[in-house]
Amino acid sequence: MAHGAVYLLGAYLGYALCVKLNIYFPIAAALATAIVATLMLLIDNIAFRPLRTKKAPGWAFIIISIGIATLLEACVTMVFSSDVRSLTKGPIQPGYEFLGAIITRNQLIILIAAVSIMVLLTFFLNTTKIGKAMRGTADNPEMAIVVGIPVDKVYRVTFFFGSALAAIAGILVSLDTDIDPNIGNPALLKGIVASILGGIGNISGAFWGGFLLAMIENFAVWIIPGGWKDGISLVVLILFIMIRPSLFGIEIEK
Amino acid sequence: MDLIYHLLTMSGIYVILTLSLNLTVGYAGLFNLGQGAFFGIGAYTAALLSIKLGFPFLIEIPTTALVTGLLGMIIGVPALRLSGDYLALATFGLGVIVYTILNNWISFTGGPMGIPGIPRPTIFTLSFNSSASYMLLVTVFALLIIVFMNRLTRSAFGRVLLAIREDETATLAIGKNTSKFKILAFLVCAFIAGIAGSLYAHYISFVDPSSFTTAESFLIFSMVVFGGMESIPGSILGATTLILFPESLRLLGIPTFYAAQIRKMLYGLLLVIIILKRPQGLWGKYPF
Repeated sequence: MAHGAVYLLGAYLGYALCVKLNIYFPIAAALATAIVATLMLLIDNIAFRPLRTKKAPGWAFIIISIGIATLLEACVTMVFSSDVRSLTKGPIQPGYEFLGAIITRNQLIILIAAVSIMVLLTFFLNTTKIGKAMRGTADNPEMAIVVGIPVDKVYRVTFFFGSALAAIAGILVSLDTDIDPNIGNPALLKGIVASILGGIGNISGAFWGGFLLAMIENFAVWIIPGGWKDGISLVVLILFIMIRPSLFGIEIEK
Repeated sequence: MDLIYHLLTMSGIYVILTLSLNLTVGYAGLFNLGQGAFFGIGAYTAALLSIKLGFPFLIEIPTTALVTGLLGMIIGVPALRLSGDYLALATFGLGVIVYTILNNWISFTGGPMGIPGIPRPTIFTLSFNSSASYMLLVTVFALLIIVFMNRLTRSAFGRVLLAIREDETATLAIGKNTSKFKILAFLVCAFIAGIAGSLYAHYISFVDPSSFTTAESFLIFSMVVFGGMESIPGSILGATTLILFPESLRLLGIPTFYAAQIRKMLYGLLLVIIILKRPQGLWGKYPF
């Protein structure tokens, strides 16, 4: 649940490195991702790991995530103030035409990054040793311990990469739109909805879930006013949880 | 002095909200992250009833509670097919949906502008215009609800809720209709939240969607956890601490912008510390 704040942190750190310190964008992005992921690993060590060893119930994780998210958000607001920031400078560049639609260079970068991350992640989870260990742990933590998977290490690696991905998402979004300290929560909401839509524990499912959600939201705006957008995604979520808990993925327990 | 009255009034309202949420979360073990939505429905119902229909306070407050309770029940029925984290997600989604409706159904709810000019209540000839008298009114309501919750949680109903939390299948096996009890828990929770909403609307005399966001639900949920699950003194303590503690910073004279952020930071830190060091809350008995 602290993912929204990680996304926010990523966006702002990317902005700070790129604009304030004038570092070339790809390098700044990589640096910001690394810093954010390391910071989250540290937070995991302090906050989440003791809970895991105590086998705490789900609500404890929810509350502590809310605490951490509030903390991070307040820190970002303190440092960068609550003004809207923008990464892109200079005049707007003309976009490319594609099947009658116009797509800007930055949007193309985001699309390519999303697809390549999906492919890489699928490859990582299906073929590498640590990827397989992750899937095993998610499936059955006790069994994973029995067969000798270092479960705690797996959780930490997962946390590290998960945070890195959220940070990348934040940086990519800052390429296309302006950022302000309130972007975290809506993003978290969409992330949760999309991953449930696609089926938890399924990378390509998450991709299609996100894709489907974006389609539903933006086509719905054709018919009903744009203010209802957030509500729509949640109606979709509730309908899906109740009717068909997973669309593309493994069936989840209700 | 007015600040003290204000803080006590707000504490009273949040004590009511926390107590009612504790019934679903602490006693019945249903993770409801939509309390802010019930609170909002209550406040808007109260505002609309007293402005558009001119209901007097004594009739308006039970009507509001009933409407909120019934809406809570209607919402509760489908949500209760889910359990654990998924129920939390569904109720969280519900909070966002209610916020979106309040924000966009302009002809009915006034949209982002909200509904101004809600009068302070009058009971017979007594009017509650001063902040001191309103504080007393809220305190009376809070006390009544504390007594009510105290009785309710010790009754057969309360014991069934505890049994559902511990083992739903076993409760079914001894012949209790667990779905009915869960829905009733939702109804009572929303009913009481409706009362709190009404008290809030009459106090602030203005309602707008931004007071009933998901952050509000999280805040009330944190109050329950902070004070302690399954504990009435815990809820009272949790609500008052989380209202009063951040406000005390205001007295230190830090610039407003920083004070607001420091307040959020402290609130976040407090949650992290309580979960790590004292998971049963200040006065609870539901450790892990």
